[in-house]
Amino acid sequence: MRASLALLGILVAMLACGDALAQGTAQRDSFFETRIRPLLQKQCVPCHGPGGQSAGVRLDRALSPERVKQALAAVDGSGRVAMPPTGGLPEADRTLLVGWLKSGGHFPVPKQVADPTWAFQPLRRASVPAVKGARNAIDAFLLRAMGKQGLVPSRPADKRTLLRRLTFDLTGLPPTPAQVDAFVSDRSPEAYEKVVDRLLQSPAYGERWGRLWLDVARYADTHGYDKDKRRDTAWRYRDWVIRAFNSDLPWNQFVSMQVAGDVLSGGTEDGITATGFLSAGPWDFVGQVELADGTVEKQKTRVLDRDDYVSASIGAFNSITVHCARCHDHKFDPVPQRDYYRLQAVFAGIERGDRLVSEGTGRTTSGSPTNGWHGPISATPDVTQWVQVDLPTEVSAESIVIIPARPTDFTDTPGFGFPVRWKVEVASGPEFADPKAVEDRTGSVASAQGDEAVVVAVNGRRFRSVRITATRLWRRTNDYVFALGELQVFVGGRNVARGASVSSSGSIEQGRWSRQALVDGFDSRGPLGASGYAVIPVPPRPIQVLVRGEVTLPGEAVSAGSLSCVDGLSGDFGLPVDASEGERRAALARWLVDRRNVLTWRSVVNRVWAGHFGIGLVDTPNDFGAQGGRPSHPDLLDWLAAWFRDSGQSLKALHRLIVLTDAYRQSSEPSAASLRADASNRLLSHYPRRRLDAEQIRDAVLLASGTLRNIGGGAGFDLFRYKDDHSPVYDHDAPGVSTSPTTFRRSVYRFVVRSVPNPFLDAFDAPDPNQSVPVRNTTLTALQALTLMNDAFVLDQSSRFAQGVQAATKDVPKQVALVFRRALGRSPNALESEEALGYVKQKGLAALTRLLFNTNEFQFID
Amino acid sequence: MLGETALAWLAGSESHPQTVSRGLHHPPKARRVVQIFLSGAASHVDTFDYKPLLVERRGRKFDPGGKVELFQSQPGVVAPSYWEFRQRGQSGQWVSDLLPHLAGCADEMAVIRSMHSRSNVHGPATFLQNTGFVLPGFPSMGAWVVHGLGRLCDDLPAFVVLPDSRGVPPNGPANWGSGFLPASSQGTAVRVGGDKPIRNLFPESGQFGTTHTDPAAGRLLERWNRRHAQARPADTRLQSRVEAYSLAAKLQLSAPGVLDLNREPESMRRRYGLDRPETADFGARCLAARRLLEKGVRFVQIWSGADNGFPRRNWDSHEDLPKDHAMMAKEMDLPAAALIQDLKERGLLDDTIVLWTTEFGRMPCSQGGRGRDHNPDAFTTWMAGGGVKGGVSYGASDEWGWKAVDKPTTNYDVHATILHLLGIDHRRLTFRVNGVDRRLTDVHGHVIREVLA
Repeated sequence: MRASLALLGILVAMLACGDALAQGTAQRDSFFETRIRPLLQKQCVPCHGPGGQSAGVRLDRALSPERVKQALAAVDGSGRVAMPPTGGLPEADRTLLVGWLKSGGHFPVPKQVADPTWAFQPLRRASVPAVKGARNAIDAFLLRAMGKQGLVPSRPADKRTLLRRLTFDLTGLPPTPAQVDAFVSDRSPEAYEKVVDRLLQSPAYGERWGRLWLDVARYADTHGYDKDKRRDTAWRYRDWVIRAFNSDLPWNQFVSMQVAGDVLSGGTEDGITATGFLSAGPWDFVGQVELADGTVEKQKTRVLDRDDYVSASIGAFNSITVHCARCHDHKFDPVPQRDYYRLQAVFAGIERGDRLVSEGTGRTTSGSPTNGWHGPISATPDVTQWVQVDLPTEVSAESIVIIPARPTDFTDTPGFGFPVRWKVEVASGPEFADPKAVEDRTGSVASAQGDEAVVVAVNGRRFRSVRITATRLWRRTNDYVFALGELQVFVGGRNVARGASVSSSGSIEQGRWSRQALVDGFDSRGPLGASGYAVIPVPPRPIQVLVRGEVTLPGEAVSAGSLSCVDGLSGDFGLPVDASEGERRAALARWLVDRRNVLTWRSVVNRVWAGHFGIGLVDTPNDFGAQGGRPSHPDLLDWLAAWFRDSGQSLKALHRLIVLTDAYRQSSEPSAASLRADASNRLLSHYPRRRLDAEQIRDAVLLASGTLRNIGGGAGFDLFRYKDDHSPVYDHDAPGVSTSPTTFRRSVYRFVVRSVPNPFLDAFDAPDPNQSVPVRNTTLTALQALTLMNDAFVLDQSSRFAQGVQAATKDVPKQVALVFRRALGRSPNALESEEALGYVKQKGLAALTRLLFNTNEFQFID
Repeated sequence: MLGETALAWLAGSESHPQTVSRGLHHPPKARRVVQIFLSGAASHVDTFDYKPLLVERRGRKFDPGGKVELFQSQPGVVAPSYWEFRQRGQSGQWVSDLLPHLAGCADEMAVIRSMHSRSNVHGPATFLQNTGFVLPGFPSMGAWVVHGLGRLCDDLPAFVVLPDSRGVPPNGPANWGSGFLPASSQGTAVRVGGDKPIRNLFPESGQFGTTHTDPAAGRLLERWNRRHAQARPADTRLQSRVEAYSLAAKLQLSAPGVLDLNREPESMRRRYGLDRPETADFGARCLAARRLLEKGVRFVQIWSGADNGFPRRNWDSHEDLPKDHAMMAKEMDLPAAALIQDLKERGLLDDTIVLWTTEFGRMPCSQGGRGRDHNPDAFTTWMAGGGVKGGVSYGASDEWGWKAVDKPTTNYDVHATILHLLGIDHRRLTFRVNGVDRRLTDVHGHVIREVLA
């Protein structure tokens, strides 16, 4: 009692001094934590907390002034309602609470930040601190935090260093010697801003920042797993991302397009292409295609596939890890299992595949779910196999159309299974007692059929049954098969064979192959217009909560919805269980970009921050939950989030704001005080030096060597030799690939193989596209040393670099100066010049260029 | 962000090999691992899991009581093993005649006959045995071990993978990747017998010198890098980078010698089957494995078999098991047995674990006459060496070899046991990524005490 009163005395004394003194704040916080919070937890939070919220009041977090008044009236007995209702509050405790509420009912700020649910709470509108010498709002927040630790920022970086930093940062490339000269000699006060604007306007900006988003989007150009097949149209999504960055698409559109662009845009090319975000992840071809339908294994495959959509969307846009709630309520974050399955219900009606994004020749069929019919596999070619279609009644037909198959696992094999010798016969009934040949190619060897359909004109001939007989089969790799995609019979311009009965001399009846698939109306050759790897809507499957995540233990059925833990934003979409596919994703898109969805706004500004400084204000950009980091500058994070949300959601404006700060422009050399007080540099009292990432290294080598081909967009270039097989072969070590000028393009345009990482880029911590990568690892290894000294790519570029410079000038000292300027953005000093000249005389200029790629100075950004 | 275990990585580089020889959480029984992975799914009922009932019911309908879901076929008739089974050694473990040489090592083995898998699809199931997850993107066991324990030597990679010369298994290098762990813990694929066993060990172009032919390059680079580092004294990474080049030079010096199998006496080469075409490839890799382990490589993974393509080049015998399993076994059996015996004679088996794994088993019924379809519900794994009790049988499948029934065992249990032997508590070797403290064993796994010596 006495102690409590003493503390209350401190509290009251503090009130007189105002609330800005750090010392006073600390004591007040300590008082709150030791005396007030336990009281609130015991007496109030059971009903006014995450579990209860009686009367809409919560006493486990900061209170508005209005709420403080109400609470005071309830506790001191002056109001209509008396709290707590049990009346069992000891008088001493009541005095404490009253005193605390009278003093304003403050919750300690730092504790609130440490609250594991900080990210779900509304944005705090902190005013920009008035700090002398702050260039802009960001600097004000940063300087205030530094000041609390007695730190001051470093001096400004020199112009050459700053330009190299900025150019790599905004475009992924180093500045050219001419750009360095221009900037260094531009003495105007706007020199820096002009460069910032030039770089933000450069197409290379989208190539750099698009690549960072592709890390988060787990983008690759193959399926992954066993049978890592190519996705030859996935690049359209990659190009869309780059275009979106370059055109500064507002963030709400950037987000909603990727979740439901096809629905929201009414099926525009960009709208469909953007959904490539959802389909970008790995896909188990064998489990999805070859595994028999109706089995438990198949259901498991589908649940995991939907899990990828859910985790990718919420992780990328909201920085929350929901996948933990697949088997049980999230252990650390307020994500009940039901929320998780509501999200699965959002994606219950999509599959991945090639989808027509723009009409070519007018056909609009897309993504066939079946391949067609496939006869038994034969060890020898010259065997007879047949397949027969029996129409319901006899017809007088105009034509019979035979469409070759193009199965999903051999999409690069048009005419799969189309026989070498074959004939078409018709008869009056299924017994085929009176066959009449209408086309006979058994006497000759046909050339490969390819995708082209065979049209047999029958000119009104009457028949009920059609039989295709092969007498020499198509050669697969080491065996022989007969397969067809679709058979059609046209009467009055209408296909009457659809759904007819099919018999055959044998049939493998497996996966996407069946007799019935021959007449199911699906043409496995795929659409003829431009297609992109995107989502394909299908009738939504019913979604139930799975007990322990087991498909064999389905529970409550759920409708589409989202997280319920975002303060002030319901996760209930108000959709029925049988809502249409499009409605579900559109509702999620709207929910994600709702201005009340604080996760979205905090997430994006934090990602951009991490891109510029190497570490986010929250150091776990994919996880704002209890297991993730806490914001180093919570006020700044919220200020930026609100500013970004409310002023046009322009990424370029955000970049500009950040790179124009003094914090961004300072030197990377730390002070002794900084190393002592803030070894991890979270307070940013110096610019964090960074190693170039994998793509920056490769692209900078190309640019410095003068070999970079600036061809933007389109199909990715193969940085490997490809051979189709049961499991396709991607040989990155095939001679001549990395040294072929066709591959001298920016790394963002390479064809990314999921199962076989490119060893050069992999050595420098290129992201594994099987998971969303928020921040790349940075290692320094012996393997990197070997790669930079010996890899065929580096050696070839070193030679090309040297040849180019030798062609420009015959003067060896000038050659040396020029390679320094192109590789490092500066001229060598006298000592370096002498050392380099001595070495070049001994080993040649190419040996020097190789060495420069290996220097710390090339590899690091100051 | 870091778990308690990010030892080697704390320094930000490989240059401070924080070798943990005392184990991470408790004293270790073993310091090294060699894993033999039978890609494509080796049949347990034809190797280590003897089922007399299959002989008795030969050719009859396969009706074990319960719904039989197969990967790609309808259940055929009951098909007994194509090879005779016998009891071997002192312990009397059952091993079939398919593996006559490994049968001679039966007393070294703890055989787990009650393995089961969460997936019957090669890709996910192969991941599961390697990384503990059916999804891609997770670190392999070798990467976890290296991440947790660091290196035993600084002139060879800590985790070496020896893929089949016919190609890589399903999932490719992702099977030995480091996932979200630092890239320095990933497996290094070594092509034994190839002219370039390690990628980029030496420049290919004669125009450019090596450490030996162009020593000036190394000297000049080091001078420039040191100067750069000295001007930035607070950043230890810059110094680490200088040291990475010294490490690379050491690797250049030692690797060619370690991988030169001609340095072994002819009798040793014969012992591993290098003189016979069918065993030469796998034998060379087993012999190289022994040489690497001897020199301080922490984890070696040897693959028997490539992908699931045609003609068959791994254990995925859907069509003709007597032919295809016979081929694969002939390649693997003698060299694997030679490896165990050789390690033993050199005293290395005392602290080296030998682990023999496949992704799942095969059905006790036939597929299309002479093949067997996938069986995720029962298969066999065995281990031997450091800290493992030899001659032990653990768990059992049912009388058909269809489902694991006695002490059903998962990849998590096997991984937990291997880590335990290395001095690691599998629940405490963690790395936080996207909000989860990830483990090799996910949220499962029990150390199999019965197989510990």
